[in-house]
Amino acid sequence: MSCGKHHDVDCQDVLRRVHLFIDHELADADYHQIKAHLDECAPCLHSVDMERLIKALVARSCTEQAPVELRQRVMFEIRQVSFDVSHRTLDLD
Amino acid sequence: MLTTVAAAPLFTAGRQESRISSSILGCRPWPLPWDVMTQPPETAETVEDRTARFERDALVYIDQLYSAAMRMTRNPHDAEDLVQETYAKAFAAFHQFKEGTNLKAWLYRILTNAYINSYRKKQRQPIQDSSEQIEDWQLARAETHTSSGLKSAEVQALERLPDSDVKAALQQIPEDFRLAVYLADVEGFAYKEIAEIMETPVGTVMSRLHRGRGQLRTLLADYARERGLVRDRVAPEEVTSP
Repeated sequence: MSCGKHHDVDCQDVLRRVHLFIDHELADADYHQIKAHLDECAPCLHSVDMERLIKALVARSCTEQAPVELRQRVMFEIRQVSFDVSHRTLDLD
Repeated sequence: MLTTVAAAPLFTAGRQESRISSSILGCRPWPLPWDVMTQPPETAETVEDRTARFERDALVYIDQLYSAAMRMTRNPHDAEDLVQETYAKAFAAFHQFKEGTNLKAWLYRILTNAYINSYRKKQRQPIQDSSEQIEDWQLARAETHTSSGLKSAEVQALERLPDSDVKAALQQIPEDFRLAVYLADVEGFAYKEIAEIMETPVGTVMSRLHRGRGQLRTLLADYARERGLVRDRVAPEEVTSP
């Protein structure tokens, strides 16, 4: 679907690459081509804004802090293994 | 205590892995699919030095790995177990990790592998079929400006959705989509890195992101309407992507 106006890049082409665009996965030339399209096409700009918003919402909502006990348990386990390994090495010497 | 890794025959990869497997991971053999793991350490390093380096470099990611584990397992207890298992496995293989390469991606690869190979198997959860064979067909459909089903002012309403709604929406989409979206949006991994973490072609990552975000968009729009943040209901055929 197109917005009805003439663009160098078709609306459908822009919408197909909207995720590549917002994730910065496009080569510079392609990126600027789409950016130029967005400057003159409000409907496509709206779609890009929408995708960026969804991306930002997910980023905002999913940061959690590991419980202190988990951090301590992991540290303890690593040091225990490290100690065991060191000990085994000394026994062999 | 200063014996070097290189000098001690005990520390060949296979021996050490089996030793750690039997002490803390059970006797399950564990493949190391990350290619950098197969590279030999360039310099000899004492166990103590390696432990200190691991604590300094790897443990800083514990909050991020826990957040990801929460999205995978959906509950704090299992998420903690998964993160602990991930660090145990990572430490067991850390002497083979090449310094200067992407440690965060390496840890995520181990987390994902641990989730798929042990946690999900233990839970006897069937692997969710995200029907990827029809993705190409779906991706080939015509994109339309109205596929979001929301007008400009309504998009702003989504910003006011609480975090709990966003998490709930994420839990509703297929697992493979959820993980791809999480890795891209929360961690900012490049598609190539996500492909390596999920052991899948980049094209599949793209289709998972495309479909996952599309489903999220629809779900979040529904939540916004349920909360009265958006007044008018748009026609169903505009809300649901074909």
